[in-house]
Amino acid sequence: MDMKRDYYEDIQLFKTKTVFAGTLVLLAFLGALPLLVGDYALYLINLIAIHSIVAVGLNILVGYTGQISLGHAGFFAIGAYSCVLLMVKAGFPFLLALPVAGFISALFGFVVGLPSLRLEGPYLAIATLGFGMATTQIISHAGFTGGHMGLAAPPISIGTLVIQTGKGQYAVIMSIAVIMTIAAVNLLKTRVGRAFVAIRDSEIAAEAMGINLSWYKTLAFAVSAFYTGIAGALMAFALQHVSAGSFNLILSITFLAMIIVGGLGSVMGSILGAALLTYLQLKLQIIQEAPVIGPFLTEISVRYFTREGLPNIQSIVVGAIMIAIIIFEPRGINGIYLRMKRYWTMWPF
Amino acid sequence: MKRASLLILVLSILLAGTMSVSAEEKVRGVTDSEILIGQWGPQTGPAALWGAVARGTGVFFELINSEGGIHGRKIKYFMRDDAYQPAKTKAIGKEFVEDIGVFSIVGGVGTSSGMAVRDYLMQNNVPWVGPPTGSTHWIDPFQKYLFSIYPLYWQEAFLLTQYAAEKMDKKKIAFFYQNDDYGKQGLDGARKYMDEKGLKLVAEVPVEVADTDLKTHALKLKESGAEAVIMWVLPKHAAIILGASKAAGFQPQWMASSTLSDSEMMFGVTKGLWKDVVFANFMDVDSPLIKKYLDATDKFAPQEKYRGIFYLAGFLFAEPLVEGLKRAGKDLNPDSFVKAMESIKNWNNWLGHDCTFTQNDHQGMKSVYLAKCGENGKTIKISDWLTYTGK
Amino acid sequence: MNLFWDLIIGGLSIGACYALVALSMVIIYKTSEVPNFAQGEMAMISTFVAFELVSGFSVGFWTTVAITLAFAFCLGCLLELAFVRPAKDPSVLGLIVITLGAEMILYGIAGWKWGAQQHPFVVPFSEYDGFSLGGVTITEINLWTFVTSLVMMLLLFLFFRFTKVGVAMKAVQQNAFAARAMGIPTRRILTFTWGLSSVTGAVAGMLIAPIATLDPNMMLDPMLKGFAAAVLGGMTSLPGAAIGGYSLGLIENFFGGYVSLEFKSVVAFAVIVLILCVKPSGLFVKHFEKKV
Repeated sequence: MDMKRDYYEDIQLFKTKTVFAGTLVLLAFLGALPLLVGDYALYLINLIAIHSIVAVGLNILVGYTGQISLGHAGFFAIGAYSCVLLMVKAGFPFLLALPVAGFISALFGFVVGLPSLRLEGPYLAIATLGFGMATTQIISHAGFTGGHMGLAAPPISIGTLVIQTGKGQYAVIMSIAVIMTIAAVNLLKTRVGRAFVAIRDSEIAAEAMGINLSWYKTLAFAVSAFYTGIAGALMAFALQHVSAGSFNLILSITFLAMIIVGGLGSVMGSILGAALLTYLQLKLQIIQEAPVIGPFLTEISVRYFTREGLPNIQSIVVGAIMIAIIIFEPRGINGIYLRMKRYWTMWPF
Repeated sequence: MKRASLLILVLSILLAGTMSVSAEEKVRGVTDSEILIGQWGPQTGPAALWGAVARGTGVFFELINSEGGIHGRKIKYFMRDDAYQPAKTKAIGKEFVEDIGVFSIVGGVGTSSGMAVRDYLMQNNVPWVGPPTGSTHWIDPFQKYLFSIYPLYWQEAFLLTQYAAEKMDKKKIAFFYQNDDYGKQGLDGARKYMDEKGLKLVAEVPVEVADTDLKTHALKLKESGAEAVIMWVLPKHAAIILGASKAAGFQPQWMASSTLSDSEMMFGVTKGLWKDVVFANFMDVDSPLIKKYLDATDKFAPQEKYRGIFYLAGFLFAEPLVEGLKRAGKDLNPDSFVKAMESIKNWNNWLGHDCTFTQNDHQGMKSVYLAKCGENGKTIKISDWLTYTGK
Repeated sequence: MNLFWDLIIGGLSIGACYALVALSMVIIYKTSEVPNFAQGEMAMISTFVAFELVSGFSVGFWTTVAITLAFAFCLGCLLELAFVRPAKDPSVLGLIVITLGAEMILYGIAGWKWGAQQHPFVVPFSEYDGFSLGGVTITEINLWTFVTSLVMMLLLFLFFRFTKVGVAMKAVQQNAFAARAMGIPTRRILTFTWGLSSVTGAVAGMLIAPIATLDPNMMLDPMLKGFAAAVLGGMTSLPGAAIGGYSLGLIENFFGGYVSLEFKSVVAFAVIVLILCVKPSGLFVKHFEKKV
């Protein structure tokens, strides 16, 4: 089975040769993707990639360190605005603006992490909620951020190469997503990662073992914010526009939903959760065009509800999924996968 | 291995679902039998009231199709929900252009939503007619394929302020506005008038979209001693501020932007307080076309409950588009369409007034008329069509 | 000077609304230590039901209130039975996610059923007429709201302190296992808690609707402010929540009136963050340290 024989095996990035080969095939597939699908599908995948980065980052905080955050839309916004402002107002090149935006976001993450040392559970959720909403409000009023209208984001330019097409954007976004995912998987095998998990399992025991709670907790926030900030910046380029209105509470809740649905404490789970929710969000609103359920729902709408309210079904479906996951499979999609895997490895017992 | 293959499997399934076969056409969105037209709108979320515009356009196109279409082509209409969020609007824009392949866009409520896709649409030569907001962003900078119909907010505000000062003899005028581009453009118009006369507004009170408690705002207006207050907000806030002001004992002459021109609805929501409010309007409420459109609604969308101004606006913003399609003839492509639109001069066969496009000016309607809310919300015209004649 | 008094009246009246929302939130928190994000939507749906009764079926106002409160109670119980109970030993995060999910479902249902128009909500007390006190108008509805919030606070306080069920609810919060060992039917108590909280929320909704006009988004803002108020006063203290509500209303109004109208809404969130940094358990609650 999965028995490890020594420490070095445990921290290996690729567990077996097949995993390594599989990863290479996946990367090749991702690389070839722009040649296989149309521009619109590519745009969808860009969005999924961006949301995956956020989900992975949030998972580091929630799944691995056991904190809660309902304010990640704030970090998303900070990353997006910082990057655009740095490029537009301060003339930074993209390759510099992106990491700097990430670090600015990480800085805010650190600051938000400080109160987390004293708060736990619901109080922390409320505090992060307050932070997220305050950020959006402040951004939409500050003059230099373009107010409610937001700012137009310039196209990505690396050196003298200006990237205008969806394919180009895909190359940039997907490469960054892949790098950050591998970094996350790696992180969790290091001292830092183990410290995070220890804190989640029992803060007091962790502290008793010599883990500096203050440092690691705020670090978790900072890292999570870094990821989210980078994703926010990339989103600004995918949309070519930033406006404060899109970074609202629903966005924070959606991020949280992504990792809950995908599975806390699992990088792959985060990616799947992000993919599923992004896809649902975009497709649910045209549910009346779906083959069987569409007309059926329209029928009910006309009879008992209002026809124009049908797009509201997005909220209902996402909410229902969130509750269903908690009730039936608290470990999310990853949990389902683990159960299936165990079933098959233990079969026929 | 399992992990990776599972990931690949999931991705493939997702991709298979999203890929669609797009027809190879010479002109995007035009076939021998169909013209594809798209619109987005907030069908859910805080701005869902404006979703009626997109639905109105849908019925209008069905009416046109039932009358034989345009040069033998029927209009195929796509409506999407962006919940007033620019991120979703962008996705919808991409879907329209790259996935569905529409010929043109009509309407599309929301200035910030529209701005997220404006440049993208223009780069892809997608004609866009009638964004239902009076923002200056549609004509400044000039866009070849964008035809704006809604009279500019600042000009409307200017005319309202002028009327208040000159015809209603109000010296102390205040401005109550939504704290975003929509409200601020109105504010600019009012300020412009006051500057020209060497006066100042006695108060400029902003409100946030999410606010529901406007007591402080009412008190601020009351404190300024304003005799007339011009409102540039959402219907919800207009209703609340009237109530809050009355509760504070402050009852000036209320004036409103054309976005609040559904006087019947406002009368109902404010439980009668809306009486005597003066507002700007650009839809001819006495036009016989209104009956035609309401009859069409009975036929094609009988379950549509709300048939007020915002719903009819869906017709208004699409009428010039259809006129342009008709004039472009059988040989339809973006450039022939632009040429056809620019041939429209002083056109009055619609719900609006004097639609004019030229090669350098794509602002179709430049006039509004002022009206007052009468008994039970009836719209009573109190002025003729006013046109801004300044710089 | 008039502005000052007007601001106080305004602050107290909106503060009363926040206080009611905060009370309903504290009720649930007191028993199960979970902040109920679905609070606002529960209240909103109950208010819509009241609206349907009044306008669709022409039921008298006070009968409507009675029916609505009964409905709210059932709604609360139903939510608990359907969403919270089936979750097997959920963590705090799990419970938060459940309430968030419930909130989205309720919002979606309301948007689906009633569309997006503003609806006027009619109550027998006027929103504008009232009586004047030295140049400052106190409207009838302000009075009703304020009095109702005080009465509810008092009733709830007495309920928790002196009735068997109330004390049982407190016991469940402090140690659910021990409570069950003492013979308290914990699961039924939890269901009852949600019902009670929903009733308080419905009262808040019916008092907010006349001023704020009724639409599905009506309670989004008041719910967050109610949260802030509960945090300010202490999530486990009923008088604290009420006082937190009034204080928040006053702070907001004074900030808006004298400092900056633009940033008025940020105040609530700034308050949340500040209080949580300085005194996390709220102003009126003793802070307990966890022992190992």
